[in-house]
Amino acid sequence: MSTVVQAEILDAGEGPIEGEPSRWARAWRPVEDWLIALVDRANPILVKETRQALKSRQFVITFLVVLVACWIVSFIGIAWIGPEIYWAAAGPTLLKGYYVVLAIPLALIVPFSAFRSLAAEQEEQTYELLSITTLSSRKIITGKLASAAVQMVVYLCAVSPCIAFTFLLRGVDAMTISVVLAGMVLGSMGLSMISLLIGAMARLRGTQVVTSVILILGLALACVGGIALGWMIIQSGSGFMREEEFWIVISVMLTFYITFFGLFHSAAAAQIAFVSENRSTPLRRWMMVQQACFCGWMAAGIYYELSSTSGNGANNIGEALVAATVFATGYWAVMGALLTGEWPLLSRRVQRSLPQSTLGRTTLSLFNPGPGTGYLFAASNLTMLIAVGLILLVFRGPATGRFVTTESIACLLVLSWSYVVGYLGVGRLITVLLRRWIFVPLTAAFLVQILLVMVGSFTPLVIQMTSRQLRNQGYSLLQISNPFWTLYELVNRGSSSVQAEVLVWIVPAAAVAVLLLNMRSVATELMHHRVAPPVRVLEEEAALHVPVVKPSNPWEIEEDDH
Amino acid sequence: MVAVHQQRRPLIELRHLHRYFGPTKAVYDMSFEVYAGEVFGYIGPNGAGKTTSMRILATLDEPTYGDALVDGFSVVDDPDRVRRRLGFMPDYFGTYQNMNVVEYLDFFARAYGLHSMQRRSAIDYAMEFTLLDQLADKPINGLSKGMKQRLSLGRTMIHDPAVLILDEPAAGLDPRARIELREMIGRLAENGKTVLISSHILTELAEMCHRVGIIERGHLLAVGTVEEISSRTQTRSEVRLRVLRDVEGLMNYLRQRDDVRDVAVRQGHVTMTHDGGPEEQAALLRQIVDSGFEVVEFASKAKSLEDVFMTVTAGLVQ
Repeated sequence: MSTVVQAEILDAGEGPIEGEPSRWARAWRPVEDWLIALVDRANPILVKETRQALKSRQFVITFLVVLVACWIVSFIGIAWIGPEIYWAAAGPTLLKGYYVVLAIPLALIVPFSAFRSLAAEQEEQTYELLSITTLSSRKIITGKLASAAVQMVVYLCAVSPCIAFTFLLRGVDAMTISVVLAGMVLGSMGLSMISLLIGAMARLRGTQVVTSVILILGLALACVGGIALGWMIIQSGSGFMREEEFWIVISVMLTFYITFFGLFHSAAAAQIAFVSENRSTPLRRWMMVQQACFCGWMAAGIYYELSSTSGNGANNIGEALVAATVFATGYWAVMGALLTGEWPLLSRRVQRSLPQSTLGRTTLSLFNPGPGTGYLFAASNLTMLIAVGLILLVFRGPATGRFVTTESIACLLVLSWSYVVGYLGVGRLITVLLRRWIFVPLTAAFLVQILLVMVGSFTPLVIQMTSRQLRNQGYSLLQISNPFWTLYELVNRGSSSVQAEVLVWIVPAAAVAVLLLNMRSVATELMHHRVAPPVRVLEEEAALHVPVVKPSNPWEIEEDDH
Repeated sequence: MVAVHQQRRPLIELRHLHRYFGPTKAVYDMSFEVYAGEVFGYIGPNGAGKTTSMRILATLDEPTYGDALVDGFSVVDDPDRVRRRLGFMPDYFGTYQNMNVVEYLDFFARAYGLHSMQRRSAIDYAMEFTLLDQLADKPINGLSKGMKQRLSLGRTMIHDPAVLILDEPAAGLDPRARIELREMIGRLAENGKTVLISSHILTELAEMCHRVGIIERGHLLAVGTVEEISSRTQTRSEVRLRVLRDVEGLMNYLRQRDDVRDVAVRQGHVTMTHDGGPEEQAALLRQIVDSGFEVVEFASKAKSLEDVFMTVTAGLVQ
């Protein structure tokens, strides 16, 4: 600064100095700095996509259409209600209209944009440029999700004055509005997550076209379903929300929502991750969390039933156990079919991160990638659930139901376990055999499992249907390999209808035999040891993390200062 | 060119690299090293396996067997460490909609983990280096092919990588853009970057590369300087000489030799085709002088990279 200018500033006395920031500007400065730092550290994908979205014609048009639709709903709604608006509870009517206006962008446009953003990266050849940056696959998916969330918030902001208006019109309370909006936001995020997972899976252009059509149909269905549910809640009001059961159900649903969200996030990240990365362990962790949540909620539900005074607790527990068994069996059958299709060879990168200590190897080896550990992981989790189910069955007391007897449920538990363990094991052995000659990717291994179950289920069915003697006989032991019919008969007609006294010996014995046949190769996978990182990696780690030598006495600090 | 590799460590290493696509062996047992500060030309016909091996180095693909190292880190086992050290410019330009030049570079700078001032200075440097500073606010969709290539180079070097892999960077460029790009690559080499570059324009590669590798059908046929490869592969050369007197005698002498063919006189020079490398040529010269001819000029036509390429490759495509 020149001396002349300095002198001018000094001469100005106490008045506002030209060029010097005002008090407001000075106060705003830290906030601005904080915002800059926040954006600086924000996910790059979020920053990029927000910039792109704000400039895109699609977003501007959609935003304007939403505003115009809100305006139209307001006018038509008020005209429809007429003078009654001064005394009648008109809030729900208008809220339903605004809900539809908001549901379309949130359930259709935002999730489909998330799908397209990932698909477009592959179409426009930017995905490869992105994948060779230092952004991890998790960050890429999180960025895409965050971008969807930002779009969602913008649409919500556009409609929020109208929704506030419905509150002023009476007939709808804050609780109802909050629940409806929260449901829509969570639904939109969930649909965006599913869309991203599909986008990550569909890499070929041909597949993308087919999946995008299916996705649009699915999203449209979800949108209609969401609108119907929202209207139902708006119509019902907040009365049922004051009941304890409502919040228990919401908590259960939220638990499953969060864990499935995490699972899908990890699955999407795994789809786009580099081949040598450990893509299985994060998925198994989420499965384990889901298993824990499932067990927790089952235990809570059964405790609730046992302590209730309705007198129907034992029957309810029985029905809950049947439902839980069907759910758990289906869940672990699907997850197991995917896990047993994993590639058996571990990359050196994965081998570097294997558990090393005895305790770690004992407890965490099932989380290591590989089809053998995957099979054992699925079988172990299902075994634990079935064991808990059997224990609960002992404590539930006598039931009064016609079909859901203790014996039937016990048979259901044992047979469900046996079918899953048996089929997964056989499927895995077939895949191992096929991999001796040809390359069998995960999807092909999954198809092998599906084909196996179909062959096991439909072959006896076809035999029975084509045989004159057996056609009208109903269920027989010929259907022993058909899990669907067997378990259906067991639940609906009781253990005697399926000759359970025979089945509970043959099917579990076969499953255990298959399990034992798999054990040798499973053991090979469990024997993997951690390998040391290369010298170059150790060198770099040492250079990056130079140990700080702390002073051993106060005089050393003084010497350093001098 | 100076043999820069003699005193430096390899920044790129291919160790028995194989990449199969079904029955097609896109890359077969390829091994070579590129040293720090070296510009290495990668030459081969279409479908030779250049892009495949470059994609493996860029951590976009994985080898079927073997390994590739960048600064000592395996592209298979430590792709994240490799990515920090490597910039890859593919033979296509990925375009983002609704984005201008500075936003494009800003995005990639963020994606490489650059923050605040570090990022801003990296963007400024990349734009200045690639002469894009006047086009900061221009939408990337409106850029010409040459500008896009420059922007792509800017993106490649945004995180200041030690190794740059450039796949056909000059393809489709006009002469001016090509010269500018060549100058930029030259400056990168001067700044100590290791550059692996593939191109079909062999004259340009010959000018800027310290060494070249010639591949065909996935096989590495030759590695070295153009002169080294030429001397290794040369079995026949065009020789031109001039004597003070007795041209006819010299021609008769040469015609009697088994290792000389096509003897003729052109513009006062005796030209011939000689079977043999540099050592055989030295012996021929010695024998001519010993035979009493007064030789004032003896020259063997140096092989260009194009000649070497045509000699080494057989024009096979898989």
